[in-house]
Amino acid sequence: MPEIFNISQTPITAHAFNADRSQLAVSLNSNDAQILTRSGSEWAPSEILAEHDKVITSIDWAPNSNQIVTASQDRNAYVWQQTPDPETGKIVWKPTLVLLRINRAATHVRWSPKEDKFAVASGARAIAICSFDPENNWWVSKHLKKPIRSTVLAVDWHPNNVLLAAGSADMKARVFSAYVKEIDERPAATVWGSKLPFNTICGEFASAAGGWVHSVGFSPSGDVLAFASHDSSISIAYPGGAIHNIRMPTLPLVTLTWTSEDTIIAAGHDCQPIVFSGSDAGWQEVGTLDNGSYGSGSKAGPGSVGRLKTGAFATFRDADSRGQTSSGTTDSKLSTIHQNTITSVRPYAGVPGQITQVSTTGVDGTLVIWDTASVSALTGRMAAMSV
Amino acid sequence: MDVAFRKIDIDVYDEDALQESELYDADNRDPTQALEEARARQVSVRSLLAKNDTAGALTTILDNPPYGPNVEDAKTISLQTLLTILNSTKSTEIPTAINSLSIDSQDTLMKYLYKGMAMSGWADSNASVLLSWHEKLTEIAGTGCIVRTMTDRRTV
Repeated sequence: MPEIFNISQTPITAHAFNADRSQLAVSLNSNDAQILTRSGSEWAPSEILAEHDKVITSIDWAPNSNQIVTASQDRNAYVWQQTPDPETGKIVWKPTLVLLRINRAATHVRWSPKEDKFAVASGARAIAICSFDPENNWWVSKHLKKPIRSTVLAVDWHPNNVLLAAGSADMKARVFSAYVKEIDERPAATVWGSKLPFNTICGEFASAAGGWVHSVGFSPSGDVLAFASHDSSISIAYPGGAIHNIRMPTLPLVTLTWTSEDTIIAAGHDCQPIVFSGSDAGWQEVGTLDNGSYGSGSKAGPGSVGRLKTGAFATFRDADSRGQTSSGTTDSKLSTIHQNTITSVRPYAGVPGQITQVSTTGVDGTLVIWDTASVSALTGRMAAMSV
Repeated sequence: MDVAFRKIDIDVYDEDALQESELYDADNRDPTQALEEARARQVSVRSLLAKNDTAGALTTILDNPPYGPNVEDAKTISLQTLLTILNSTKSTEIPTAINSLSIDSQDTLMKYLYKGMAMSGWADSNASVLLSWHEKLTEIAGTGCIVRTMTDRRTV
C-alpha cells in the first residue's frame, strides 16, 4: 500500500530525505526550504531554511555527511550544516554561500557519491562542479560548458564520483568527466573511457524525435545511462552499444530513477510512476505502481475518448437527452493518487542496486511512498487525459 | 525616419545563439532527390489505391517523409498524396488502417494531420476528414503521439 502524505496545497518543487528518513527537506515553490520531521503518520514542520531570494529549484541531502545543498533561481547555492547556535545552544542549520558564478537560474543540484563535490545544473548553459577549498574555507566551482547549447535540466553522478550525466534543453543527454584534480584520485577505466580530464565528453545521446531531456540517470553499476525526454519517450543507452528507445502513448516523463540494474521507475505528466524493465537485449514498459484503486476519482472508461464523449459536452448532453445529472464532483479528480504532474522520484528504502521503495512528490503537493514490487498493468492509459 | 540603422545582421555572428539546425539531424537528401522521391511515391500510391490497398498506400507515403527547411515542394506533394488516401478511405476502415502502421508511421501521420489542419486553404474542405482521422489516431496511438508531433523538430 502506498503511503500518502498531503504536505501542502502548493506544488512541491523539490524534496530530499535524510539518511534514516526521519526528516524531509522540501521546497514548496518558495524562497525557503522547510525541514519536516516525521511524527507517526504525519510530517510536522520543524525548521525553515531562509536565505535564498528566489524560488528554490532543487534540494539534495547528503546522507553520510548530513549536509543539505539548495539551489535557487537567484543564481546561488547554499550548503547547510547543522551546528549549535552560539546564542541558544540549539542545533540549527547554518548556510554557507557557494559562488557558482552563473548568470542564470540554477535548475538542479546533486551531491556526488562521496559527498565531496556537488554539481549544479543551470540555465547559463553550464554545470558548476563545486568542491570545498579548505584553505579559504569556502566552496569553489569549475564550469562544464562545451558543448552545452541550452539550459541543463538534470544531472546525475556516476558511482565512481568522476563522471556526470547531464540532460539539457538542446535535446541531448551527455556524459561529462567532472574530474577535479585537487579532490579526486585517478578513476579506474570504465565503459565510458579512461584518462578523462575535466570537461571531456564521454558520450552524447539523443532520442529520435528529439525533445528536452528532463531527467538522466546512471544504472547502479554506472554502465548504462537512461534519460527521459519530452517526446514521451525514455531511452536507455549502452555506451558502444545500442540505444533502446521506448515511445510511450502517454504524456512525457520528467523524472526517473533506477531501482536495480534492470529496472527503472519513471514518472511525469501522467501522474503515475511507470516501471520499465530490460537488459542490453531490449527494454519494455512493465506496468505502473498506481493501479487506480487508491485514488478517488472516477476512471475514464473505455471508448470515452474524443471531445464529444467526456467533459462538459457529455454532461449537458446526458442531462438533456437522458435526464442524467452529472455523477457528482468526482468527475474532475483523476483516478491516480497524484492529482498533478509528478516532478521528482527518489529512492526511499533499500540499498543502491536493490531499491524497495521510492518516494514521489509533485505539483499537487502530495508526497507518496511506493513499494517498487507492486506493479500492475497499465490499463486506462487515458487516466490522466481530459478532453 | 529609418530606424533600422544596422547594416549587418549581428545575430548571425553570435556564437552563443542556438541554431535550429543544431537541434535535430538534417534530412540527408537534397531538394531534387526528395522531390523525385515524392513524385515516385505519388505514382505508386495511386496504383495501390486503385487496388484498394489503403494500408500499403499509407505505409508508402509515411515511411521516411521529407522534412526540414529545403524540401518544400516534396513536402507539399507528400501532403497532397496523403490527403487523397485519407479522403478515399471509408470511416469504418480507418481503425484497421491505423493499426497496421508502425509507431514511426503513426507519428508521421499525426504530423501530416496537424499540417493539413494548419494550412488555411485546405482545412476548410478537408476538416471533417482530418478531424475524424485525428480522433481515431489518438484513440490508438495516445496523447504521446500528439506530444511527439509538437516536440519533433523534423517538421513535415
